[in-house]
Amino acid sequence: MFSLEGITSTIQDWLFFKFNPTLALAIECVIVILLAIALFAALGLILVLMERKVAARIQIRLGPNRVGPGGIFQTAADTLKLIMKEGLTPDKADKFLFNLAPFIVMMVAMLLLAPIAFAKNFQIWDINIGVLYISAISSLSVIGILMAGWASNNKYSLLGAMRSGAQIVSYELSAGFAVLTIVVLTGSLQISEIVAAQQNGWWIFKGHIPAIIAFVLYIIAVTAETNRAPFDLAEAESELTAGFHTEYSGMKFALFFLAEYINIFIVCAIGATLFLGGWMPLHIGNWQGFNHIMDFIPSSIWFMGKTFFLIFLIMWFRWTFPRLRVDQLLNLEWKYLLPISLFNLLLVAVIAILGWHF
Amino acid sequence: MNISAIIFYAISALILGAAILAVTTLKIFRSAIWLLFSLVGVAALYFWMQVEFIAAIQIVVYVGGIVVLIIFSIFLTQQSGKEMPKPAKGKVIFSALAALSGIAFTINLINHYGFTNTSAAPFNANVHEIGMQMLSTTSHGFILPFEVVSMLLLAAMVGCIVIAMKPTESTSITLNKKEA
Amino acid sequence: MFLKEYISDVYNGVSSLLKGMRKTGYYFTHPKEIITEQYPDNRATLVMAERFKGEVVMPHDQNNEHACTGCTACELACPNGTIKVVTKFDITPEGKKKKAVDALVYRLELCTMCNLCVIACPSDAIKMAPNFEHSVFDRSKLTKILNKTGSKIREGIE
Repeated sequence: MFSLEGITSTIQDWLFFKFNPTLALAIECVIVILLAIALFAALGLILVLMERKVAARIQIRLGPNRVGPGGIFQTAADTLKLIMKEGLTPDKADKFLFNLAPFIVMMVAMLLLAPIAFAKNFQIWDINIGVLYISAISSLSVIGILMAGWASNNKYSLLGAMRSGAQIVSYELSAGFAVLTIVVLTGSLQISEIVAAQQNGWWIFKGHIPAIIAFVLYIIAVTAETNRAPFDLAEAESELTAGFHTEYSGMKFALFFLAEYINIFIVCAIGATLFLGGWMPLHIGNWQGFNHIMDFIPSSIWFMGKTFFLIFLIMWFRWTFPRLRVDQLLNLEWKYLLPISLFNLLLVAVIAILGWHF
Repeated sequence: MNISAIIFYAISALILGAAILAVTTLKIFRSAIWLLFSLVGVAALYFWMQVEFIAAIQIVVYVGGIVVLIIFSIFLTQQSGKEMPKPAKGKVIFSALAALSGIAFTINLINHYGFTNTSAAPFNANVHEIGMQMLSTTSHGFILPFEVVSMLLLAAMVGCIVIAMKPTESTSITLNKKEA
Repeated sequence: MFLKEYISDVYNGVSSLLKGMRKTGYYFTHPKEIITEQYPDNRATLVMAERFKGEVVMPHDQNNEHACTGCTACELACPNGTIKVVTKFDITPEGKKKKAVDALVYRLELCTMCNLCVIACPSDAIKMAPNFEHSVFDRSKLTKILNKTGSKIREGIE
């Protein structure tokens, strides 16, 4: 059966057989970096196209349909256009920080890729604090946005960056609490152990209602954290032209744009890992035949399927709900999400201690 | 020099270089960003020492919390694209002297103590152990400081709420009475 | 009670959001609902809405006759001088002079498709047509004479 695990172990064996360990490790690093960049490029192309198609279908339109069959090469053409555009820098901008900001945002997105388990035994870095690492690194991404907003020397950028900062800092809390509920149930921060704990059922099924509440809270919080509609105040077009990336053009703009989609992918991958069992196939109790059929689907397809389902959910939100006002946004977090998630965490702790989950 | 020593010196150079730039630059926002890089470098040093939990906490607390707070206060008080005036010479000399005495003190301490090779196993720093230690009530437990810190945070939160709260009719009347 | 209100707030919020998502989800899963017209491709089969206002035309019947009496009501009704009626005097068989339209000059580039001229017309001689492909390379081509050459007024219209 096709498996990514076999391919990686074969490559590793071959490298260690051919070269000395240090050199083999260096070559592996290079391969991983190249794969990560390739994944980024592919994700950027696919997700932007998917967003436009989903948006079109929800708004009873057709969407891009001219470049290639069904418009599948539209994003490639857009990327080509962005590469060829001039990268302008405003006159009185802080040039160093202005040029640094998109790379910071991109680097943070890349760092977040490390602990994600893409398939069975297919993970870049199975760090023992996996989930904590992710919430720590994702708090860095706000720096890039604040930097872009300040360095542009533009009032819209500054306002957008401030809004974005306030939003990310507040919604990190309830996202963290939603993640914590699963950590409490599993008793580990490590991604591989969280996935392994869901062998006999995903947490969203095993954890009763609190897990479902945590899932909903997580989806809402990460939608806000990635600055997506209905929480896209940071780049509200009608008020702030484009928010923190108003002054960016060409490839630097493309990096911000790409980072937004990569971040969506990452938070959805984490959500799939925590609540929907990562690469674990769907197993139902004692239905042996059904479980065997499910096992035949490769784990990477399970993982990608779940992730893209969550991405679709977030896109669905974007094209259904109107944008919130700033005060509504903060009310939602501090008056609704945070108290509910605190109470929910308490409930989950009780369930975990009494062993009520399956 | 092996590869891990090279990595150590590279990270240290990043920390020190960013720290020096943070205090010498004239643009206040850049100063905050250099401070950020310095703190991220410290976190990288922790990662290099394989104490991942401390490294992650370093990033959450300092980068995600304190530097963002600093940046916010810059946003609210300063103007973009402005440079600060050069510090007075006396100030520069005084702070240089303070930094030098700090360095001298540290070097003295290091020389006095020295670094000896030990055969002891590296300490166990996984999250489970840290959590157990944090809440244990035995002789080496940290339950008391933990609770004291939480009391401090609670007091800070109550203080914030009191400051932010709009005085209602009745409380403002009582306040006025007290003044009278 | 505070807690009851809070819970009903959350419940109402979530249920109204779900209602919205149900609607958009319905559209997503039903491609039949798509209303996009792929215009240059489906030009042959394109059906414009009946009420679409693209230009003013004067319908002529098979005898090359129209219903315009040359009363200039449309010219007076037009808010921006789009229509200019040039009149002439026909001699009726009884030897009487009768006012008739010589040329109804319509300047499309000035027209805002407000429909006031059609409303003002007492004999329903002009109407709005759904044609929208008006682009030309020469601006003078937008000035049109609506009554065809050699046309005359239909019998029985005063």
